[in-house]
Amino acid sequence: MPDSLLSPLHSYHIKNKAKFIDFAGWSMPFSYDGTIKEHSYVRTDSGFFDVSHMGRIEIRNSEIDNLSKLICSDIKNLDEGKALYSIFTNSDGCAIDDVIFWKFSDHIVLICNAANSSKVIDHLKEHLISINEITQSTALIAVQGPNSLNLMSNFLQIPDEFSCVKNDIYTYARTGYTGEDGLEIMVSLDNLDNLIDFLTSSEAKPCGLGARDTLRLEASLPLYGFELSQNITPIEAGLKWTVTNKNAFLGSDVINEQINTGNHQILKKFTIDSKSIARTGTNVKAGNTPGVVTSGNYSPILKKSIGFALFENQPTTDLLEFDIRGKLVEGKIMKKRFLS
Amino acid sequence: MTEKKYLETHEWYSLSENTITIGISDYAQGELGDIVFVTLPEVGEEFSKGDSMVEVEATKTVAEAYAPMDCVITEVNARLESEPEVINTDPCGDGWMVKAEVKNLDDTGMLYQEYETFIS
Repeated sequence: MPDSLLSPLHSYHIKNKAKFIDFAGWSMPFSYDGTIKEHSYVRTDSGFFDVSHMGRIEIRNSEIDNLSKLICSDIKNLDEGKALYSIFTNSDGCAIDDVIFWKFSDHIVLICNAANSSKVIDHLKEHLISINEITQSTALIAVQGPNSLNLMSNFLQIPDEFSCVKNDIYTYARTGYTGEDGLEIMVSLDNLDNLIDFLTSSEAKPCGLGARDTLRLEASLPLYGFELSQNITPIEAGLKWTVTNKNAFLGSDVINEQINTGNHQILKKFTIDSKSIARTGTNVKAGNTPGVVTSGNYSPILKKSIGFALFENQPTTDLLEFDIRGKLVEGKIMKKRFLS
Repeated sequence: MTEKKYLETHEWYSLSENTITIGISDYAQGELGDIVFVTLPEVGEEFSKGDSMVEVEATKTVAEAYAPMDCVITEVNARLESEPEVINTDPCGDGWMVKAEVKNLDDTGMLYQEYETFIS
């Protein structure tokens, strides 16, 4: 097996006694103080995540017309200084990756999932879009939680929600993946120490990918490879709001048909009252409608078992029956977000 | 109470006359991540060696604790129902899971040194 890639913050993680996990070819921190504690730092105060494993690609704005043909959202009319969550779709309308764009005056920064970096780069090249990959020459840190902007305002100018800023050293946006306010900050390796020193001296606590996963699940956010995949469209994943591209894009015929007919598989959120977690791959039934759990874990805020399940079609009942290792466990579909 | 012994499935047990106390090792709790739910057996339930006795749900994964020998449950650690995290903080002390009456003594677990070699 090839050696795992190491984040530029690897020595920081070692010094802070992180437990590591192999993730998409990278050795990244799973936790420092424990997932539940770190979850709580982010929900109540401030925590920061090293997400340097995520792919980072620069694209010139002259490529926007071509790029627009590959994603389901309207990037052409996106204002400079704004961030956009969108999905690269294939000819079946299914997700190649879900990504964030930061649009600046002359270029766009594309942030993609680590596991999909080479797939996205190949896809862009195949469609003759020239790119500049900057994953290994930069670090990416997400500072998240209700106290994060207050802390970071001593260090950076805070942009409006879903806006991005670039100065001589930092490229950053008021975006995240936890359901909390905060910043995602990209910095070149030469300037990384200043940012780390600031964060270390602040009240923000380091958090690992374990908490990142429980936070995103509790915030009802999808994770590629689970709620989105090359077999799941944005419509099926409940992400119709991302489909704002009015022009034709790869797979838009399939997506438009799904919107018109409503005839497609469908992702639902669920809760379970008993002490069982329905994990990825667990079979579930809503009446006669079969489904499979895409992600399931414990919600530290709700103090109960939650998750997402993908059903073959729209269930006609909210009452669910999971088959958890041969045991039948009841649950129910959650219509609203997990967190109000 | 005898010295704790460990199984390859990461339970520990100690014996006191005919009573066995069972929990999971510090290594096991570390591998599981934060423990969020524990499903304990009922007092009076009978288990054969190797049967699943306790189900532990953690943020990272789920695990079961198996009976080290044939036994009948005499007491469960009710504190774990509301404070499962005690298994993370004190797996070999306050985080004990069940006590049981031994039906068929099988004291073949590993001493800690041997277990330490096994997990390293």
